[in-house]
Amino acid sequence: MKKVLSLVLSLMILCLAIPAMADGLAVGTYDPATAGDVELGFGWWGNQVRDEVTKNAADFFTENYPNITFNLNAQTWNNYWALMSTYAANNDLPDVMQQDYAYIEQWVEAGDLLDLTPYVESGALDLSSMPQNIIDTGKVGDGLYAICCAVNAPAMLYNKTLTDSLDIEVPLNITWDEFADISRQIYEATGIGVIYGDGNSENPLTYYSRSLGYNALWDAEGLLADAEEMAGYYQRLIDGVKEGWLFDTDKLAGVNTADLAQYPLVYGASNDVRVWCTLAFSNQVAAYQNAATADGIELGFSTWPSSDPVASNYMKPGQFFAVTTDAENPDLAVAFLNYLLNDVQGNILLRAERGVPPCTATASAIAEEVGKADPTYPASVKYLAFVGENCSPIFPPLPSYAGTAQTEVIQYLAEECLLKGTSMTAEEAGRLAVEMIAEIAANY
Amino acid sequence: MTAIPAKAKKRRFSFVSWINQENVAGYVFSLPFIFGFLMFMVIPMGLSFYYSLCRYDIQTATQWIGLGNYIEIFTDDPTFVKSLKVTCYYALIGTPLKVIFALIVALILNHETRAVPIYRATYYLPSIIGGSVAVAILWRRIFESNGTINAILGNIFPFLQGYNWFSEGPAIWVLILLTVWQFGSSMLIFLSALKQIPRELYEASYVDGANGNKKFWHVTLPLLTPTIFFNLVQQTINSFLAFTQCKLITNGDPRKSTLFYTVYQYQKAFPAVGKSQMGYASALAWIMLVIISTVTALLFWSRNKWVYEE
Repeated sequence: MKKVLSLVLSLMILCLAIPAMADGLAVGTYDPATAGDVELGFGWWGNQVRDEVTKNAADFFTENYPNITFNLNAQTWNNYWALMSTYAANNDLPDVMQQDYAYIEQWVEAGDLLDLTPYVESGALDLSSMPQNIIDTGKVGDGLYAICCAVNAPAMLYNKTLTDSLDIEVPLNITWDEFADISRQIYEATGIGVIYGDGNSENPLTYYSRSLGYNALWDAEGLLADAEEMAGYYQRLIDGVKEGWLFDTDKLAGVNTADLAQYPLVYGASNDVRVWCTLAFSNQVAAYQNAATADGIELGFSTWPSSDPVASNYMKPGQFFAVTTDAENPDLAVAFLNYLLNDVQGNILLRAERGVPPCTATASAIAEEVGKADPTYPASVKYLAFVGENCSPIFPPLPSYAGTAQTEVIQYLAEECLLKGTSMTAEEAGRLAVEMIAEIAANY
Repeated sequence: MTAIPAKAKKRRFSFVSWINQENVAGYVFSLPFIFGFLMFMVIPMGLSFYYSLCRYDIQTATQWIGLGNYIEIFTDDPTFVKSLKVTCYYALIGTPLKVIFALIVALILNHETRAVPIYRATYYLPSIIGGSVAVAILWRRIFESNGTINAILGNIFPFLQGYNWFSEGPAIWVLILLTVWQFGSSMLIFLSALKQIPRELYEASYVDGANGNKKFWHVTLPLLTPTIFFNLVQQTINSFLAFTQCKLITNGDPRKSTLFYTVYQYQKAFPAVGKSQMGYASALAWIMLVIISTVTALLFWSRNKWVYEE
């Protein structure tokens, strides 16, 4: 009897052990189990949904390697960079940090990111199923400093429930005139407005500049478009406010545009503080839809309004992960990075919230499961396929003066042009934009 | 038992007697303060002064530019002027309002009835929770276009329905109202001062035929002037240093019309995008120190003119 019992017991142990071994995470060549008891720092910016899925993925890692725990640092975009530069000054950056295409170069120059080339060569970091052109977006000079973890594209998310009820169809590749027309109709019928060009980012300007035939908004010397061309953009703001459908400066101060869950597309009790669409990125749809569902709103996809959508649209190597030079055990950090990029179970938990994974093997392996958990996923994959066929190459990373120009010029001019009854003319704004940014660029 | 030679006894070091010396004990007891003062006040201030003479972005090494930051602030920074104006407006209107309000409530509460302690605690509450993030967020929600204030006032005054309190004119008043609402600590100081006014003075004035109104203007108020002065200095300094309310409620919007000096300084030191200008922000901080010192000195200078001293 004793023998039978021990046989059963050992069989059970064996049964338990086999799936555990087969389930070993995709961590590359380094075994995190050998790292000892370590706390791994991981920082990112995001939203509630992202914070949740990322935590799940980290927890799953800990489940498999109980010796590794995490110090997770989730911030909003607005707080993230200020906080991270403070950590950097203190040599206290998290081991793995989320990076943005626009900022990688600055961070490499400051010596905060680790060159991952040796790890790719040794096989510790497996990028075999990632297209080379996407790998290259994380390169600065000869070094590979950041790995793209998601592909996305600018996407205008709109309140489809509302437009359907008004019998309005929002086309893909929507032009500016069509957009203004629809906005006018919606405003007249319901009082619901639009937030555009509020100065929080340079993205709408970039889109505008690309529609004029330039590849980017600016280069090292300043804006690419001339004063007259820039005036066209500011005329849009002035006209929109005059016609009423565009949120003016005062109205903008009354709403919260920083926190996605409170964004007027999905939040606000009365129509005069709501908008019918938002200029977002395709990977934000899950978070917006999550907040919109409570109000019974279904969101739709279109491209950002542009006079020449195909010239303006672009595919963006969305977010990046980088290992910082403050990482105490870079091998372990790389193993975790490898898990984030290649592990199927880990990526199912991450729900492609950051965007479609660029490792083709991972992307196809998770499609079905993620589609079940996140109903917006198939729609965003479909949208990205559309943009992929209707876009132009992305612009180069932002010039180093971009941040200063953003707060001192773009924001300033947006506030002035969006002011109700403003005294600023579009011509003046266009001229100021060109002159002031050229001056900042020259003195930086 | 062997006798220890007196000489040897004297030379031997005893920790107990050493620590019991008055000097040493004093230093030991004040060590935590001295340590904190050096580490968290003197050294950071020294560093900040050094940075104010440098170009410094936190991530790369400092670069000495002498008075460059100061020159730029005074000659080529409209936002500096704007934020200074906003802060002065806030301090010059908010502080007197707050002090007057505190005085009025203190006068009302200066009666001996049973409910007074409850009222005192209730009115002091906003000051305890005042500087906190939660109150700032709450305040923003209350004044939102579909917030509590509009819901209540909109019923009484229909034209206020959906009124935008965060537009350019009223936004600063939302912040002033918050500071006035937090009158509790000034009120408590007034209350204790009121208690100290000698009864005989009121009796004497009564004998001289003074009514309630005259008693207030000729007895209470003159004797309260030292307390008013103290509150004024204290609250003026606080107003110049106000940060949380502005950062969380308006963040300087719209069009920098509510941009407090400290928030502007913060935006320079920790911008949402682009590089930190820590040196520039440090220079702003030192200018603020000079401004506050000047205003305080002015207040002290005016003291002879209106503060009653026995």
